[in-house]
Amino acid sequence: MPDIAFLALSGLVIVSAIFALEARELIYGAVGLAFSLIGVAGLFILLGAEYLAMFQISVYVGAVVVLILFTIMLVRRESGRIVEEEEPGRLGRAGILVAGLIALAVAGAIVILVPISPEAPEFYGVPLPELGRDLASSYAVPLVILGLVIGATVIGGLTLAKVEREKKPNGTTQ
Amino acid sequence: MGLDAWSLVAIFEIVIFLVTFPLLVFGWLMRARGRNPIRDAPFESGQTHLGEARQRYMMQYYPYLIMFIVFDVIAMFLFTWGLAFSSVPMARNYLFLVFIAVLVAPLAYAMYLSGKREFW
Amino acid sequence: MWLQALPALQEILNLALRIITSRTFLEIVFFPGFLNVMLSAAFLVWLERKVIARIQLRIGPLYAGLSGILQPIADGVKLMFKEMILPELADAKLLMLCALGLMMLAFAPAAAIPFGEGLVIANMDVGLVYVFAVMSLFPSVILLIGWGSNSKYSFLGGLRSLFQQVAYEIPMWLSVLGIVMLTGTLNLTKIVEAQQRLWFVVPQVLGFAVFFTVALAELERTPFDLPEAETELVMGWMTELSGVPFMLGFLAMYTKLYVMSALITTLFLGGWSGPGFLPQPVWVVLKTFIVASVVFVIRGTFPRVRVDILLRTGWTRLLVLAFANIFVTVALMSIGLGSVWRI
Repeated sequence: MPDIAFLALSGLVIVSAIFALEARELIYGAVGLAFSLIGVAGLFILLGAEYLAMFQISVYVGAVVVLILFTIMLVRRESGRIVEEEEPGRLGRAGILVAGLIALAVAGAIVILVPISPEAPEFYGVPLPELGRDLASSYAVPLVILGLVIGATVIGGLTLAKVEREKKPNGTTQ
Repeated sequence: MGLDAWSLVAIFEIVIFLVTFPLLVFGWLMRARGRNPIRDAPFESGQTHLGEARQRYMMQYYPYLIMFIVFDVIAMFLFTWGLAFSSVPMARNYLFLVFIAVLVAPLAYAMYLSGKREFW
Repeated sequence: MWLQALPALQEILNLALRIITSRTFLEIVFFPGFLNVMLSAAFLVWLERKVIARIQLRIGPLYAGLSGILQPIADGVKLMFKEMILPELADAKLLMLCALGLMMLAFAPAAAIPFGEGLVIANMDVGLVYVFAVMSLFPSVILLIGWGSNSKYSFLGGLRSLFQQVAYEIPMWLSVLGIVMLTGTLNLTKIVEAQQRLWFVVPQVLGFAVFFTVALAELERTPFDLPEAETELVMGWMTELSGVPFMLGFLAMYTKLYVMSALITTLFLGGWSGPGFLPQPVWVVLKTFIVASVVFVIRGTFPRVRVDILLRTGWTRLLVLAFANIFVTVALMSIGLGSVWRI
């Protein structure tokens, strides 16, 4: 029997995502994304992963959505309105029909093939100190490699993002 | 009442919403009526406003945002380390210091890039 | 037909009575919940004006109530009836939604802060990161208000506020990492319990200094109040707010101040611990007000920091200090002094 919290949070995720896709202004889309990610964090809490939920909010809603907002606000020259939308043509409508049929087939396969257990499984939550212990011992080398990958990504991204202005002959930049 | 912690937080937030929302409705009902170009203009200390408000103001601080995301994720790992600190032999703890040290180079580069306005 | 409805009505009344007198409801609505935070935030408005006034050799609010203590309430009522001006280029619904969001975000961390042994709204095992997660949502809301106002002052103020708060979040997390290492828990109640012998302000002096500085920056208080500097940006991101949204934003700022001060008290100043002649919640509130008073004194005393220096300081020097704090803690624990704070 699905409980109310799960239904409410799933509804939040789906409705916000649809709103984010269909919104007229890009900023509203980013706000819809933020609400959707908060709903995902709520689902994490329902699954017993509270720590992950908190950092989901911190990282995704607190950092990534901020970056998206910042980029929308400062990079686009025009107001961000999506100008025109046409009705999907014949090809578009056929595509929607095919996608809907595939979704139904997959859902049916899941319902038929995956056994539904009568009671909810226990939360498999990793206790946090154990997670830290594992990170320090078993996953130490991957952790340092992760740090190196992040570092390389940041340096590469920043190098690509900056604009090299040409230097004029007298030494000042363009 | 036996509610778990998150339900209590949700109830708390709902209480705040129930108190604040009527205030907003009240303010909305008291809003300005009719269009008045002088009142509705953005506030610029008496000058008439010119030009677009939304421009590319502070792009030179973009690296700061990138580093924020990076350190946000790193903080997640560091807190798990902090929790497990006492139950792990000390040598393993020094490894996390290495992990932090690895990220000093990108930080220095981001600091360098964000100082120069001509790059953005 | 009315006679048939009567027993059901009685049931509902009974249920309502049980809820209202339940400890949970009392905790949430009265203390340490909604009324506590709301009234304390209003009190802090008055306290700030008095402290600043004394520093500036004036008196401050005087007429509304005893020594002006009802002044914040008078201001609130006045703001409710002020005309809510919605500039034509601004997005009114977004502004109002964000003002509401600010209030809800400002109150949210108070749910995890203990005001006494067992006197906490929601005793979360991840209380510390919950508070930080909520704090990390502020920059986006402020950015939306600044952008949604469609005015150069607001937008620039919103951007500056965003960068300022984002830059100082990382030192905030790293400065409490020492406490997490010492106690091995994220539960705020347990962190307070661990300080019964020695408050964390002593071994974590660096962490305390960094966290206090970060709190000043997160609250947009001098010397970091560039986003709302009157001589520069009028009111920063709040420029175009008026009437009820302004009241909500203003109140949210002081609520955030109260919550942050309570957090500093919980993390570094021992929370509810103190000699027994005062009950525990009084100790928490007293220490919180003392921290807030220090914030006010700093506001009246220090000049403002320029924005690029501000950002650079946050990213370089405060980070270095936070790392130093981590090293000191690691050193302390390798010697074996960690047992002082083991619960």
